[in-house]
Amino acid sequence: MLKNGLKALIIIAAALLLHKTAFAVETVELPEEELAKESVLPVFDKSVSVKNRRVVTAKRWDGDVFYGMALTEPIYDVSKFGASLYYNFNENHAFGLMFAKYASGLSSYAKQLHDQYGLDYNRAPKPDMLLMGDYNLKVFYGKMSLTKSAVINTILYGSGALGMVKFQNKSYPAVAVGIGQKFFFTPQWALRFDLRLYANQAPIPFLSGKMTDGSSGSNPTTPPSYDDFDERLTYTTTLDIGLSYLF
Amino acid sequence: MKKTILLLIATSLILPVSGMAQGSKPAPRKATGSRESQLKSQLSNALRMAQNGQYANAANNLFTLGRRPELAAERPQIKYILGTMLVELKLYQTAAFQFVDVIRMNNSKYSKMAIEKLSMVADILGDDTILNYAVSRVDVNDIPSGQKDMIYFRLGEIKARNREFAKAAELYSRVGLGSTYYFQALFNKGLAQLEEGNAPAGIDTFKRMVEARGNAPVTDVNKVEAQLALARALYQKQDWEASIEAYSQIPRDTVMWHDAVFEQSWAMLRAARFRSALSNFQTLHSAYYEDFYMPESLLLRAIVYLYICKYDEMEKVLNLFENTYGPVRTKIGDFIKSTNDANAYYLEVEKANIIKTTDKAANLRLPYIVVRNVMDQGDVKRSMHYLTRLNQEKRRVENSPSFRASALGQYSLKILANRSKNTKFAIGDMVKAHLLNMRVELRDLYEQAGFIRYEMINGRKETVKKKIAGKDLGDQIDDKVDRQFYIENGFQYYPFQGEFWLDEVGNYHYLGKQSCE
Repeated sequence: MLKNGLKALIIIAAALLLHKTAFAVETVELPEEELAKESVLPVFDKSVSVKNRRVVTAKRWDGDVFYGMALTEPIYDVSKFGASLYYNFNENHAFGLMFAKYASGLSSYAKQLHDQYGLDYNRAPKPDMLLMGDYNLKVFYGKMSLTKSAVINTILYGSGALGMVKFQNKSYPAVAVGIGQKFFFTPQWALRFDLRLYANQAPIPFLSGKMTDGSSGSNPTTPPSYDDFDERLTYTTTLDIGLSYLF
Repeated sequence: MKKTILLLIATSLILPVSGMAQGSKPAPRKATGSRESQLKSQLSNALRMAQNGQYANAANNLFTLGRRPELAAERPQIKYILGTMLVELKLYQTAAFQFVDVIRMNNSKYSKMAIEKLSMVADILGDDTILNYAVSRVDVNDIPSGQKDMIYFRLGEIKARNREFAKAAELYSRVGLGSTYYFQALFNKGLAQLEEGNAPAGIDTFKRMVEARGNAPVTDVNKVEAQLALARALYQKQDWEASIEAYSQIPRDTVMWHDAVFEQSWAMLRAARFRSALSNFQTLHSAYYEDFYMPESLLLRAIVYLYICKYDEMEKVLNLFENTYGPVRTKIGDFIKSTNDANAYYLEVEKANIIKTTDKAANLRLPYIVVRNVMDQGDVKRSMHYLTRLNQEKRRVENSPSFRASALGQYSLKILANRSKNTKFAIGDMVKAHLLNMRVELRDLYEQAGFIRYEMINGRKETVKKKIAGKDLGDQIDDKVDRQFYIENGFQYYPFQGEFWLDEVGNYHYLGKQSCE
């Protein structure tokens, strides 16, 4: 709900920013018989849904910078910042490299735990960097007009990524699947939204009896070594919001 | 059908015996008599095979027997039955040759029957040459009632081709309501009436056809064709508004819709509905129509702009006409000058067909829009359909190795190869004729473009004169905005950037207004 609201807000704000001064529009009354009354499509030899695409991606590079927010992360800082570079083989397939650097802090929930119970999750190894090869399958090219003077082209795509996530102590292989949407405000510039589910081995930050630092009156414990933390398969859902430029 | 064949074969089984009885003159030599009786026994066997449904074996035996000089008297009968066997095997072209042979033998009994069969086979094949040959020899009184409708229809076609439209309309009227040819006949009758110059009668006929197909699906070909013909008839009657309305009833998801949009634009121009006509041109001149040959539509658009004093737009459209159709005209001219071989013309159609139906590329010598247009012409389409039938028949022969190896199989393949070759040449000639027509048409259109350009310059001059004289030309919609925007795109709901969507085609609206005083 919140995500959708945020998305809509960004789109509307951007459209308004790009809104040009309206032309001297005059109301023209269209005769009834000239208005569309069929939802069927004309028949051509080869049925192509769009001609003269405004946004042509085939055989072009696109570079992105993005901010990522982990939606299901309880302990570590939910933010990461990254950049990616894709090559579009055609209008359907693209492949690129994605790099992200995680913010080094803790989540607000972890800070709360620290304040109330003296649990210091800075002792656990934090995620540091992410490097993945990302394949995009562009399934739908569309168009929307929020105002009568601005048109936004959209590309909906599915993504599958494979790579490594580096924690402070160790690197782990990671896979991610997701869905994304680009909103092109010009034939080059686009806002990019990616919703991904990551799966990777990761240290469990909850280590019984070794996380208290004594700040809330509890007994301080000796900080554990990173090797003391057990590992498990961890799933993280992230939403990336970025700016994309098509070269 | 099967019953008739069985009856015929049963009769035929008796005939050789009676033939022998009648020929009771003393045999010249004993050996000859024995050979003849052997052959007649073979013939009886072949007929029995046919009776038992062993059509391929029966046809092979009949084919061999039909060549024996000893059975010359029975040849019309043998060939006729062979023909019916081949019809059962769906080898229509090979069957047609047997029936033609029988007709040429002028046998009192079998010739009439062969004509009837040949008409039926020719109808399935759709070959004009055989159809004309068969139908022109038909005595309608000899034809069973079930076949009469087809004969009336085909005779009507022949009369229409000879421009005897009244006779054609009368023959089409004889086709019965229950016949599969009824709606085609009704449609052709309307066309004949229009050709005669009797637009009201034509309109009535097409209205009747539309009503008769009232319960058919929206995209029913007969229904849509009738609707389109009705719109054209109303245009011919100069009832512009009714014509526009009739054109707008053509469903978008039919191939006829493209023609309807273009023709409706003419009606709109005649009805002085310039804005509406320009809306149609937004569709017709979109990227979806880049493969369509429509030089006239560009000139028509220029004329509409002339009427509303949009001279800049007019110039752009005239330039587009010259840039698009200038090279087309040159290429057609060069091709005709450098090519005499009919097969080369046919090959262009074959290559264009690959482009049209697959995603493969083909190296065409003529522009694709030209060949695509030629391919859509009735005579070329019909001959291509005949060629497809020949190929289907060839595959049928080749798919049965034993039949293929037989004498009849080899004979059949030879016939099909010859017919294919000749049809390709005929198509080549048709293509050449159409190209010559296009060249003439383009020359005329170029002349018209020159006149339109003259009117444009004249109009501009008048406008400048009025401005110099200080006449107030009134407020114009585009006074305060960049003219380039309108010149490029017309006035749209949103800034149009040249991207066309399939679901938008047919929904574009021109929102400008006239710039005249």
